[in-house]
Amino acid sequence: MLNEYWPILLFLIIAAGMGAALVVIGSVLGPKRPDDEKLSAYECGFEAFEDARMKFDVRYYLVAILFIIFDLEIAFLFPWAVVLEQIGWTGFWAMMVFLGLLVVGFIYEWKKGALEW
Amino acid sequence: MDMQTLQTLLWTLAKIFIIIIPITLTVAYYTYAERKVIGYMQSRIGPNRVGPWGLLQPFADVFKLLFKEIILPANANKFLFYLAPVLTLGPALAAWAVVPFSDWLILADINASLLYVLALTSMGVYGIIVAGWASNSKYAFLGALRSAAQIISYEIAMGFALVCVLIAAGDISLKGIVEAQQGGVFDWFWLPLLPMFMVYFISGVAETNRAPFDVAEGESEIVAGFHVEYAGAAFAVFFLAEYANMILISALTALLFAGGWLSPFENVPVLGGTLLATHGIGWFLAKTVFFMFFFLWFRATFPRYRYDQIMRLGWKVLIPITIVWVVVAAVLVLTGAIVRGS
Amino acid sequence: MTAADLMLALPEIFVLGMTCIIMLFGLWLPEERQGMISFVSIMTLVFAAIILLGWDDPDPAAVSFAFNATFVRDQMADVLKLSAFIVLAAILVYARQYLRVFKVAMLEYHVLSLFLLLGVMVLISAASMLTVYLGLELIALPSYALVALRRDDQRSTEAAMKYFVLGSLASGLLLYGLSMIYGVTGTLSLAQVANITAMGNNTVLVLGLIFVVIGIAFKLGVVPFHMWVPDVYHGAPAAVTALIGSLPKLAVFAMAIRLLSDGLGNMQMHWMSMLVVLATLSIVVGNLVAIAQSNLKRMLAYSTIGHMGFMLLGLLTGSDQGFSAAMFYAIVYAIMAAGAFGVMILLSQHGVEAEHLDDYKGLSKRSPWLALMMLMLMFSMAGVPVFAGFFAKWLVIQAVIDAGMIWLAILAVIFSVIGAFYYLRVVKLMYFDAPDKDDAISVPADFRAALTLNGSAQLLLGIFANILIGLCVASF
Repeated sequence: MLNEYWPILLFLIIAAGMGAALVVIGSVLGPKRPDDEKLSAYECGFEAFEDARMKFDVRYYLVAILFIIFDLEIAFLFPWAVVLEQIGWTGFWAMMVFLGLLVVGFIYEWKKGALEW
Repeated sequence: MDMQTLQTLLWTLAKIFIIIIPITLTVAYYTYAERKVIGYMQSRIGPNRVGPWGLLQPFADVFKLLFKEIILPANANKFLFYLAPVLTLGPALAAWAVVPFSDWLILADINASLLYVLALTSMGVYGIIVAGWASNSKYAFLGALRSAAQIISYEIAMGFALVCVLIAAGDISLKGIVEAQQGGVFDWFWLPLLPMFMVYFISGVAETNRAPFDVAEGESEIVAGFHVEYAGAAFAVFFLAEYANMILISALTALLFAGGWLSPFENVPVLGGTLLATHGIGWFLAKTVFFMFFFLWFRATFPRYRYDQIMRLGWKVLIPITIVWVVVAAVLVLTGAIVRGS
Repeated sequence: MTAADLMLALPEIFVLGMTCIIMLFGLWLPEERQGMISFVSIMTLVFAAIILLGWDDPDPAAVSFAFNATFVRDQMADVLKLSAFIVLAAILVYARQYLRVFKVAMLEYHVLSLFLLLGVMVLISAASMLTVYLGLELIALPSYALVALRRDDQRSTEAAMKYFVLGSLASGLLLYGLSMIYGVTGTLSLAQVANITAMGNNTVLVLGLIFVVIGIAFKLGVVPFHMWVPDVYHGAPAAVTALIGSLPKLAVFAMAIRLLSDGLGNMQMHWMSMLVVLATLSIVVGNLVAIAQSNLKRMLAYSTIGHMGFMLLGLLTGSDQGFSAAMFYAIVYAIMAAGAFGVMILLSQHGVEAEHLDDYKGLSKRSPWLALMMLMLMFSMAGVPVFAGFFAKWLVIQAVIDAGMIWLAILAVIFSVIGAFYYLRVVKLMYFDAPDKDDAISVPADFRAALTLNGSAQLLLGIFANILIGLCVASF
């Protein structure tokens, strides 16, 4: 079975290599005539002001945290889903308890406005 | 390295290129098709100057992009700036390693291929964040944040939809999932899992940042979003990745919900035994193209969502629906209403 | 998993279910009826206690396992859980007015405290390294959030950050140690670990033990792993300090028993010497540094460090006598701490934390009742005879003497005398100094009842000490 993963590794390398190759080809073929204006950050033709490393809305952070929780939940659901028939109703209810707890959390964050944009 | 290993290696390499080159060509002609289709939908004729019916247009575009200057902005982080396009394209292509084109045409027949696909499609968001950060430009930064938040939001709905597919199929390999759908059009998962089919495809459109979910690069607001500072070949790589992702989502939809390489006429009385009822790669490609067409259709039809609407749809509509449907699907399987395929 | 398993864990399941219900219904409760949350939470504790006691058991000394021996119910667990219910109920009564005055989120405070309680219960009943870690994190995560509950307060968020970073480090170290033990023994069950270690020790096991002891020391806050204690106690809102200063101590005591005695009892000669160092340092540093504090929260923080050192004295003997003494100490300490912070919470009713020692000047003239309660609590902490704190220290020291460590006992006695100084200073301020302010102190009836019980419990537990001591002795 592990043998089957070698082509995947090879594929990954080639796929990444292809992206790299395109960039390299482009930089070889393309001209190189930089000047200050061209190299400044694009801001609709205005002089760029301030640094782009700025504070941003905390909601993005919140979404990332919620994502981790739910993604982990999905990771737990995957194996459960596959063997559902073997584990039967006991397995079903065990997962429902888990899912129920997460739904409680989901309702809480919804009501608290974490999902408002 | 002995002869045997070398031979296997070369053969594998050949197979990889047999997959990658058609995908790249498909991307090229997908862009052409996009302009043509949207053109006709808007009563225009689209590209028509380069070659007969404009058929050589994609090549003209490719060469134009390759011969343009790659601008490295003065404040950009050089390494990350060049890394980002590679990070975006890599996963979009590498996911094809496990896609079964037919019951035997498959590069790596691993038993957890759906997990592998899920892992790789999740990787795509790194390229976007890295690009937005490395550019050190406000538009790129905002675009990257928006895009990342949107992608991860819809990934949850997508994941739950996949769980439903797993419940119905009882197998985690793409091949097994297709085989579980045998029996004809109405045995494909789009029918028993209709809401999930829709959720999956909508999430797929949102994942690829395509219209109507394309605020990340909403031209009228933040110009081109995360790749605003990219030019020439580096931009071309992002472009390639976006379209490769669209094709991948279409192919996965075909595999997961539309029976992959299975023929729709499998158990139809009159056609049984004829060529039409034969399973094969042709059906898979036809279904993929069918779903690819939807991406173009959506773009020509729907106005763009506002960002708050996108997040609301993802979190407050799709995720609750999918959670409920996970429970429903599990009950249906356990009560025997959905019979798992062999 | 059988129905019997679920019955065994019924108190935990009940607390979890009620917490979820409170969390959901609290969301729809209008602002002016938030007091309901406090009431329902306390009722939850009452019913959880009834379920715990009502669990029909022909033989109270029996040890029952559940969930593939990851969960254990024995007398120690029941006594500690019951103490945790009582302590938390008292704190929730104290906190109600405080939360309203300081505009701390009522719902979140109660839900997080109940989750913390759940963690305490799980940790107390842990019979596998997995359950140990689960309980520990279930205590830790709500604590971090609780400390940061006043998120606009800079000190509070800073304390939360420190607590989070150091707490995660401690969890990580403990987990590292547990993973080494798992690597050597190949089992997560503490009972099996005990069986396997009986056949002989090896170096990796000792290394794992070191990390486990460090993890326990971090969580208990004993020297030299005490850095977070003063800052967190100081930065957290008083109602939260009361929580994290009392409940987790009960649980960590149980964790130490489960890990060191139940699991690694055969390595006693190794952990004994480590605990001797930790206990000695804690008693010395805690009691000396506390003298220099002008802030009551910080003073109590250092006093905690000292007290935890004393508790370790009981643990390190490795004898049943020592364990039961340490258990008695942990319970008495949790009750004392809850009461002392309760007084602080009450004095903070005007929206300013009453944490400076000067705030207690002339308290006897402003409210003789409150001063009397504080007097009893301070006497008990100092270890004045007749009060519960005295018996706690006495039992521990006796166990140390019986174990043949006379010098350790002498050191403990010396430093408990030194420690008495700063407790008595509070008493002096209350009774012999003139008050700075003379505004009346209004006390809600339920608060008065709870604190009266809490304060007089110090005396009652002292006079009738043999009841609780009997329970503790029967636990081992």
